[in-house]
Amino acid sequence: MADWQDPHKLSEGEFLDQVHSFEFWFEAVEGYLHDRPYGFDPNAVDEEMDDRRKDGLITTLCNYCIGETAALEASSGMIGFAPDRASQIFLSTQVVDEGRHLEVLIRRLQMLGVKDPEAEIDARANKSLLRFKERLLELVDSQDWEAAVFAQNVILESLEYTVFRNHVQTGDKITSQILQGIVTDERRHMGFGENDLGRRLRVAPHMHDRLDKIKRELDGLVLATFKQTLGELGIEGPKAPDLAHDYLNAVARLGFES
Amino acid sequence: MNDTLINDTSDELAPRQMYVLEETGFNEVPRKFRRFYRKWGGPSDPLAPNEVVCPVCKIVIRSLQELRVGDKVYCMPCMSRLIVEEENGLLVARVNY
Repeated sequence: MADWQDPHKLSEGEFLDQVHSFEFWFEAVEGYLHDRPYGFDPNAVDEEMDDRRKDGLITTLCNYCIGETAALEASSGMIGFAPDRASQIFLSTQVVDEGRHLEVLIRRLQMLGVKDPEAEIDARANKSLLRFKERLLELVDSQDWEAAVFAQNVILESLEYTVFRNHVQTGDKITSQILQGIVTDERRHMGFGENDLGRRLRVAPHMHDRLDKIKRELDGLVLATFKQTLGELGIEGPKAPDLAHDYLNAVARLGFES
Repeated sequence: MNDTLINDTSDELAPRQMYVLEETGFNEVPRKFRRFYRKWGGPSDPLAPNEVVCPVCKIVIRSLQELRVGDKVYCMPCMSRLIVEEENGLLVARVNY
């Protein structure tokens, strides 16, 4: 018997059952995390950083922690009003991912000499990102599935995916390895969001205007935060990536104009 | 990639080219599905006739057979269902929600 299976031969139902399952998640993360305690190769040697670079990195990681906390609290809350079992099970894997992200980022802050990560995160928090988190959790509290998926899995996850991917290319070795594992997880989260909403908009196009309003309210908050993040990392000017590019492509595929 | 081509024909009406997929080092899905995906190196990384890039997550999706317009493929890393289309003479994937 072959040790592989052709995924393209699966029916749509089989495919969705497969990718939303905890079993799929478990075998996927085993591939890229099993030999990386706290998200990085334990033999990797930390780079020397001057004070300015280290301070910028600490601020950046503190704000990544806020984004991950928002996603952790939101995704765990969404399990209670998810529309079906498969979505509940997928969200339970996302909760585990977000909890891990928070843990490895806090661990990295400690490695950089931060004695009290909680206090440091509070002190360095970006106001726009805090506002985004507050609004996301309000949408979750109101049990508005489409709005919560849109805010979390499309807006937040798409922008984190782009920022982390760029940071992987320019960061120090250990931070880059940690972020690479997070980026791989984010693929599932943003893909889940785009595909779930895409299916819903196809059968209920009247939802479009309501979600467009949420988009206009919230995406500027996250974009502003991550533009600032790139500045803290010293990625500015012509070398700076077009942060909005992947995000705008995603919302354009869902039928939203910029 | 250096996957083995089982039969070779350029005639559109002829049977499709078939491939034996090699492991690509891709490790972000369960082991049994890994050879069907690979990382994309960007526009300078050419695609084989059995490959197409996922527009959502930019992973290369690979098939056991040469891809043609109308084929359906799945991107497991981001859970997208895709349909193969032609754009400016190249095969591209569009999300099929």
